[in-house]
Amino acid sequence: MTIAALSSLLPLPVAIPLAGAVTAPLLARASSRLAVIVSLLAMAGSAAILLIEAPEVFGQDRVIAQYLGHWRPVNGHVLGVTFAADPFGLLVALAAAVIGAILLLYTLSELGGLGRRELGGYACLFQLLIAAVIGAALTADLFNLFVWFEVAALSSYGLAGFFLERPIALEAAFKVLVLTTLASFSVFVGAGLEYARHGALSFAQLHDALAGHTSATDAIALGLLIAGFATKAGLAPFHGWLADVHTAAPGPVNALFSALMDALGVVAIVRLVFQVYPAGSTPVLGVLMTLGLASALLGAVMALAQDDLKRLLAYDTISQVGIVVVGLATGNAAGLAGGIYHLINHAAFKALLFLAAGAIVHRTGLTRLSEMGGLARRMPVTAAAFVLGAASIAGLPPFNGYVSLSLIHEGLQHSHETVPYLLTLASQAITVAALGRAAWLAFFRPRQEDLDMPERLRPGMIAAFAGLGALCVAFGAAGPVVLRRLMAPAAASLLHPARYASAVLAGTGRLPALSVPFNYGSPAELISVAAGTAVAALLCWGYLRISEPRAIRLLRAAHTGSANDYAAYAIAGTLAVIAVLSLA
Amino acid sequence: VILVNYLAAAALLGIGLYTVLTRRNMIKMVMGLSLMEAATYLFMISLAYRSGSTAPVLLNPPPGQTEHSLAHGNVADPVLQNFCLTAVVIGVAVTAVFLSVVVRIAQHYRTLDSDQVRELRG
Repeated sequence: MTIAALSSLLPLPVAIPLAGAVTAPLLARASSRLAVIVSLLAMAGSAAILLIEAPEVFGQDRVIAQYLGHWRPVNGHVLGVTFAADPFGLLVALAAAVIGAILLLYTLSELGGLGRRELGGYACLFQLLIAAVIGAALTADLFNLFVWFEVAALSSYGLAGFFLERPIALEAAFKVLVLTTLASFSVFVGAGLEYARHGALSFAQLHDALAGHTSATDAIALGLLIAGFATKAGLAPFHGWLADVHTAAPGPVNALFSALMDALGVVAIVRLVFQVYPAGSTPVLGVLMTLGLASALLGAVMALAQDDLKRLLAYDTISQVGIVVVGLATGNAAGLAGGIYHLINHAAFKALLFLAAGAIVHRTGLTRLSEMGGLARRMPVTAAAFVLGAASIAGLPPFNGYVSLSLIHEGLQHSHETVPYLLTLASQAITVAALGRAAWLAFFRPRQEDLDMPERLRPGMIAAFAGLGALCVAFGAAGPVVLRRLMAPAAASLLHPARYASAVLAGTGRLPALSVPFNYGSPAELISVAAGTAVAALLCWGYLRISEPRAIRLLRAAHTGSANDYAAYAIAGTLAVIAVLSLA
Repeated sequence: VILVNYLAAAALLGIGLYTVLTRRNMIKMVMGLSLMEAATYLFMISLAYRSGSTAPVLLNPPPGQTEHSLAHGNVADPVLQNFCLTAVVIGVAVTAVFLSVVVRIAQHYRTLDSDQVRELRG
């Protein structure tokens, strides 16, 4: 297909789910299942269009832009909103569409029996959220990014409070409303400041304007934008909402929030830091490294202490997004490729783990680890899915986590960041211990009394497990190919912002080819994985035997559950980020 | 003149933030957030203003101004005003969702104190 034809198709991956979101509640009047089936088709259509773009974008390292409403740039001034498919954005958009389709398949199976109004609204909000993620991944316009942020925020409020009859869902919805509203002010003012200063909203134009000189106003705007999007990504100390929302929502919604909505925040931060602001003009990589390490450690430690399975997985999401940001904050090719790789991997394995947790609730009604036990014998498929997801996070070869974590470690070593490297290894060991503890308590611990299981595992749920499990294995086993074909071009688009900017202004352009070396059987990495797993096993065994240490008790006590306190943490974090960026 | 706007925006932001951080009544928290929202609008509109500029309506020049001054772009920046229009629309939707969640919480828990509604913690 010609570049012009590919370019004209570019709005469709967002437009199709938006149209699906409008029609779903209407179709639900006829049949509730029909609404979900049409949503599933919309996701598949969106994924198909993105796949049509893929050979040109990944194969030729090409950036394809589309000027919405045909407002073409005049003398380097972008007049309208631009969509630009670069390898990085297209990768995230593709992940959102494919995993969204798998989650809708699971929904059809598990929640297909819900009422018409409920399922119609659910299908509508679900598609709005995925459309927002795809839109944020493809847009090259700061204000448009804010709009997708708000679309995702509004649909997440609805989905967080979806089980209106469960009081904790309302409590969680209130907290996410308070924190996300604060974040939206931050993003809004940040975008406004940048426009007021440079008269531009297009990433390309802002990149060119900022290349000469980055003033204090620009630094403050960057701080506001990072703080706002970090709330969406769930980075500490902006993470107060995340665990609560995941505790109360149904399984597929957990998976959607953790796998895809967090990615929206990460994508926005990455675009601003690497493609808009010039490298080295602000200490932003140091800020990201600090936020990433804080999230990785805090999430891992909190996960170790949880009794509620979904809450445990939610804290683990904070930890994994932290690891992704650590990889990106190295700023070198291996770290960037590893960070992007881990973002996509996280979408696959965390969706798998949350669906497994959802399947346990579906079949037994149990949410607490202390009440579970011996489920492996009664639910072998779910147990296998959970163990596969946990092994992927643990970075065991041949699963996908191994490749991305190795790359992140390599990136950290390459830039001689020893302390962050050790902290990353520590958080990884704690994460594995937390998941190992969960797997032991839920699935393998012997259980005396038998469980009453009225529900069975339905075909769509098994198909979703199989699809996500296959993604985990494929992205691990075919690691070098995935790295060369998908992740290296994506990293190239972040390492060459000037090329991205000129492509956005010109309508199309090529990125330089980047090769990221990766040694699959590197002995050092294999030893580090083995040692990490051994430490994790000891930690898990030890933690099951002792009472809660004082440090963890204090950390848990800081998560007071009060919206006021969480807002205070987020505001303090925002001020700290701004202060570091503008004063350093 | 415009300095007053910035001071007012800062004051509104401060009052709103103080409310969000210290009031436990959920309706008051929503009101605090609304105040902060108003502060961001005022700030944006003030950023859009240029000394001596007119409203960005380009049909006829306002009294005392000629078409010449319009052609030279001495109007307030319409893009920032459009920002605010978009944000106002979103803000209305968010406030509606916010208040409906608070109403449901009040129905379930029989309280508006956010300190009483924290089953999820730790």
